[in-house]
Amino acid sequence: MTELLQQLVNGLSLGAVYALIALGYTMIYGVLRFINFAHADVFMVGGFIGLYLAPHVPGGGTVLGGMLVLFGAMIGCALLGMGIERLAYRPLRGAPTLNVLITAIGVSLFLQAGGQLVFGAAPRSFPAVFPTGAITLGPLEFSTNQLLVIGVAGALVVALQLLVYRTRMGSALRAVSQNPKAARLMGINNDVVIRWTFALGSALAGAGGVLYAVNYPSVDPLMGVMPGLKAFVAAIVGGIGSIPGAALGGLLLGLIETVVAGSPYSTYKDAIAFALLIVFLLFRPAGILGRARVEKV
Amino acid sequence: MIKKNETAVPKPLLGLLLALGAAAGLSAFSDRIDPYHLDVLIGVGINIILAVSLNLIGGHTGQFSLGHAGFMAVGAYAAAAVTLFLGPRLIPDAAPGGFQENALFLGALLSAGLAAALAGLLVGIPSLRLRGDYLALVTLGFGEIIRVLLQNFEPLGGALGLNGIPPYTTVFWVVASAALAIYVVGCLVRSTYGLGFKAVRDDEIAASAVGLDPARYKVVAFVIGAFFAGIAGGLFGHFKMTITPSGFDFTRSIEIVVMVILGGLGNTFGVILAAILLTLLPEVLRPVAEYRLVLYAVLLVALMLLRPRGLFNFRLGRRVSSS
Amino acid sequence: MSAPLLQLDQVTLRFGGLTAVDAVDLAIPEGELMGLIGPNGAGKTTVFNLITGVYAPSSGAVSFAGRPLAGLRSHEIVAAGVARTFQNIRLFGSLSVLDTVRVACNRHRAASPLQSLIRLRAFRESEAAVTRRAEELLELFNLLRFRDAEARSLPYGEQRRLEIVRALATRPRLLLLDEPAAGLNPAEKLELVALIQRVHREFSVTILLVEHSMRVVMGVCQRIAVLDHGKKIAEGSPEAIRQDPAVIEAYLGPDHATGLFHH
Ligand SMILES: Nc1ncnc2c1ncn2[C@@H]1O[C@H](COP(=O)(O)OP(=O)(O)OP(=O)(O)O)[C@@H](O)[C@H]1O
Ligand SMILES: [Mg+2]
Repeated sequence: MTELLQQLVNGLSLGAVYALIALGYTMIYGVLRFINFAHADVFMVGGFIGLYLAPHVPGGGTVLGGMLVLFGAMIGCALLGMGIERLAYRPLRGAPTLNVLITAIGVSLFLQAGGQLVFGAAPRSFPAVFPTGAITLGPLEFSTNQLLVIGVAGALVVALQLLVYRTRMGSALRAVSQNPKAARLMGINNDVVIRWTFALGSALAGAGGVLYAVNYPSVDPLMGVMPGLKAFVAAIVGGIGSIPGAALGGLLLGLIETVVAGSPYSTYKDAIAFALLIVFLLFRPAGILGRARVEKV
Repeated sequence: MIKKNETAVPKPLLGLLLALGAAAGLSAFSDRIDPYHLDVLIGVGINIILAVSLNLIGGHTGQFSLGHAGFMAVGAYAAAAVTLFLGPRLIPDAAPGGFQENALFLGALLSAGLAAALAGLLVGIPSLRLRGDYLALVTLGFGEIIRVLLQNFEPLGGALGLNGIPPYTTVFWVVASAALAIYVVGCLVRSTYGLGFKAVRDDEIAASAVGLDPARYKVVAFVIGAFFAGIAGGLFGHFKMTITPSGFDFTRSIEIVVMVILGGLGNTFGVILAAILLTLLPEVLRPVAEYRLVLYAVLLVALMLLRPRGLFNFRLGRRVSSS
Repeated sequence: MSAPLLQLDQVTLRFGGLTAVDAVDLAIPEGELMGLIGPNGAGKTTVFNLITGVYAPSSGAVSFAGRPLAGLRSHEIVAAGVARTFQNIRLFGSLSVLDTVRVACNRHRAASPLQSLIRLRAFRESEAAVTRRAEELLELFNLLRFRDAEARSLPYGEQRRLEIVRALATRPRLLLLDEPAAGLNPAEKLELVALIQRVHREFSVTILLVEHSMRVVMGVCQRIAVLDHGKKIAEGSPEAIRQDPAVIEAYLGPDHATGLFHH
């Protein structure tokens, strides 16, 4: 029983990071209908921004200092996301999906390879930007970092949900993702909405990068690859285009993976996500919370 | 109007025979060629096979696949298993480079192709339901699953891979296989049957409305493409003499994708040129090797923005001015 | 009268809450040239999609030449002898005019993939025969002059005609034409009327024609069925349809009874 609860918290903290990345995938897919392969590498850049920022923020190791690092990474990644959109994706508006997809892969490779040049290929250990410690609850022991990851991710998901459903920008975003042409006719500037979507999604990935790094605690230029792929699986499992779906999918994947990692089949951990992806794409391509679309002839 | 009847003379067959002859000739003189150049030539040949076979799947049939290295892995392991485990039993005392050894290698390459084709069949089936980026993800996932499975399969060396694979790969085998791959893909896509690949890529609904079975075409493309990727894998293993699961990861798949994109999706000639170029480039750029991947990435993005139909797309579309 | 070539029996299709086709009965005898008309969104294209297996009916059955089509996929229905054109032209973007027709000849003549590798004489002869047949068809429709052009680069009217040629290349017994006159000018419409009649005669093919242009429909059809909101509201000779109060109400408008055509 205690074992199970412990696993649950481990799974949730991993799932929370997947959820943060998955949200960006889902939002960007919602407005542009393509998989932003580079998203995972924005997550990585978030981790590195945290690394470089940590020594310079006042109050390192306190909650406030940690939050400053987190915000710094979010802002940095938001700018990066907008930059990528402007330079690589906007010129391809209206081009075949395949071309955009290939471009996204190119941007992703660029960030990875560029990261290796700039940051070095070896993993770097990540400082304790948040207070570290353990909380004991009877026989259970949680690290504060795990709880922090869950808490911050939860707060960000709620904030995003409020933003999307309670603000003008949010309703513009929903309009564009439902029907871009109609949205334009209604006087919505799609380019602005798309730019904000990239900013938001990338900021969440940046937060995810820092939280992931805090938990591990190290960063390297390829650290985005696996979490990125798994977060995408999470977005599909939850139902691509759906914000609660992405959160749900992320948590689910985190839990499943933690369970497998604790079992005798732990070495198959990385294959599980892909098996799940294939099963879902074949039997329920719309995901748990998504809706299916048919092509009109 | 002049009718050019391309199908009247079996020129392609002649070309294939010539290429095979050239391969035999080349290997007869191979001990006079600088070994470094031979290695580069073998590398080029293997990449041509990979690029041409992926081009059938991704270029002609439009099934964007990010798992080609997975097929290559299946082939590499299948071939290595044949020569390492079956070889000593079948031909315990074969003369090096003799007939028996070459026959064994032929068998190993065929097993590699067939094993990979089987994997292609397995991946081709999900492709019936998916398109575009979803399919890309499934093929990517498939490649990763293969890698994880191999890493966990101890009889084939697990994460450490297989060592001591005999160096059976010669210029002859590589050039012959590449010629065969080009011939098969080229003939196929030019035939009336093969026009169906392009039709399916362009518009599946219209393709089925003229009686083509899109599912069948996609699976055929995956099976044939995987077959040759498997052969390339077999050649690769018997060239490097050691294989590990991590050598066939996502990055390897991407390298092949870059060749196909650079050459132009569906443009066999361009893809061959691109494979040559991208194999030679790292040799030339050895002093700045660490920039190689960045360069690939920039190349990919720049191509999509500036020349989305490939670097070598010189054919100006024959268009009719609207009257 | 013998059994009809195509028969729809209480065919219904729902998209979520919308009933796009509602319990439609339709019987087309072999050799007939029948029209299917109705206002926008009446369900005409959806009927085509149901016949050709793009959608499966929610209930009811379609049968062709006495054989139920349930469970058959689009290409199998083509093999059974049904070909179609599309309301929104769907030509293959990367194929030339000749290849567009060649690829549609696959059903009948194409050599197998294996033969195309071994390239024996039989293969070369069958390929030459396909090319010849494709060229004949193009010639017949005055498209041979565009032989090597990209199909999508043709002028609009020629693209529509090429779609008909492509459909005929599959050697159908039943040809479904979805608004072939859409976007044509009056002169082109007249040509199209002649063309449809010629196809009907020379290829001895049964035709079901969806068309908004009353000039075309009334000019060529032997019988007409009218859809409205997914239901068949009338069926009969062009004369009878023109006078039918329900049809005038739903679709034609009062002008039609007096012979003034719009569209
Ligand atoms: N795939 C689909 N999903 C949902 N609704 C659809 C789909 N296809 C058609 N419809 C709806 O079914 C109804 C019938 O459409 P259909 O295209 O058959 O009409 P039509 O008679 O061909 O009209 P038009 O003259 O404009 O071509 C319309 O309300 C249309 O919006
Ligand atoms: Mg219609």
